[in-house]
Amino acid sequence: MIEVGAKAPPFKLQDHLGRTVDSEGLLGRRHVLLCFYPLDFTPT
Amino acid sequence: MPALDALRDRLRASHTLACGASVDSVYSHAAWAAALGGIRMPLLADFNPKGAVAASFGMFLAPAGITDRATVLIDADGVVRHASSVTPAGKRDMDALVKLCEELDASWSGALPAFEDGPGLSAGTELFVKDHCMFSRWSSYVRTNLGLEASLPMTNVTRDPAQGERLAAAGGKNQAPALLHDGTVLYESKDINAFLVERAADRW
Repeated sequence: MIEVGAKAPPFKLQDHLGRTVDSEGLLGRRHVLLCFYPLDFTPT
Repeated sequence: MPALDALRDRLRASHTLACGASVDSVYSHAAWAAALGGIRMPLLADFNPKGAVAASFGMFLAPAGITDRATVLIDADGVVRHASSVTPAGKRDMDALVKLCEELDASWSGALPAFEDGPGLSAGTELFVKDHCMFSRWSSYVRTNLGLEASLPMTNVTRDPAQGERLAAAGGKNQAPALLHDGTVLYESKDINAFLVERAADRW
């Protein structure tokens, strides 16, 4: 697991509304809470 | 994810973009989120290469082919401030995680721009769909996931053919999905979805 204090790896992914979320574009604008989960249609 | 999406106001106030992420496709994400009543926060498709982003955070469980139920808080400078796992079978304390975001934001010295809302939909905007059509379904998922079920009427032209004639009179074609808005009609689901997102989604 990545360590606290490390630089987060950049990511650029499509979302369920057809948007692209690009971590580079969020720098200086947003904190990001990234919540990984095992699979859709499973309890969260 | 619905539990986190419900804390949207607190996340917005603390300049935090919350995202879900799994190895599923955007289509699976859209259907799942709509089945849960709609999710507005981005659900990211870490689909190709499968789990690559999760792996870059050390949170891909390769033997099982799924991601861990794990959370990372990244600050606006791109530095990891929190990383934790509750294991796939565990349950996250979403309230505690949002508190971490609030504490981070309260201690942040730089100025971050506020979230903005889109301008919304004009009165009279209407979505036309038909049965057994994946494009119609895709647009109806976007409607649900943006929380537009109460404000955007949806008309099924398969079940009520007279409505298809009304659509043809408005836009020139009886073809669904279609979005009637501001005196014009969009006929491509990709265009419909992009329009709905532009008007009704959070802007971060």
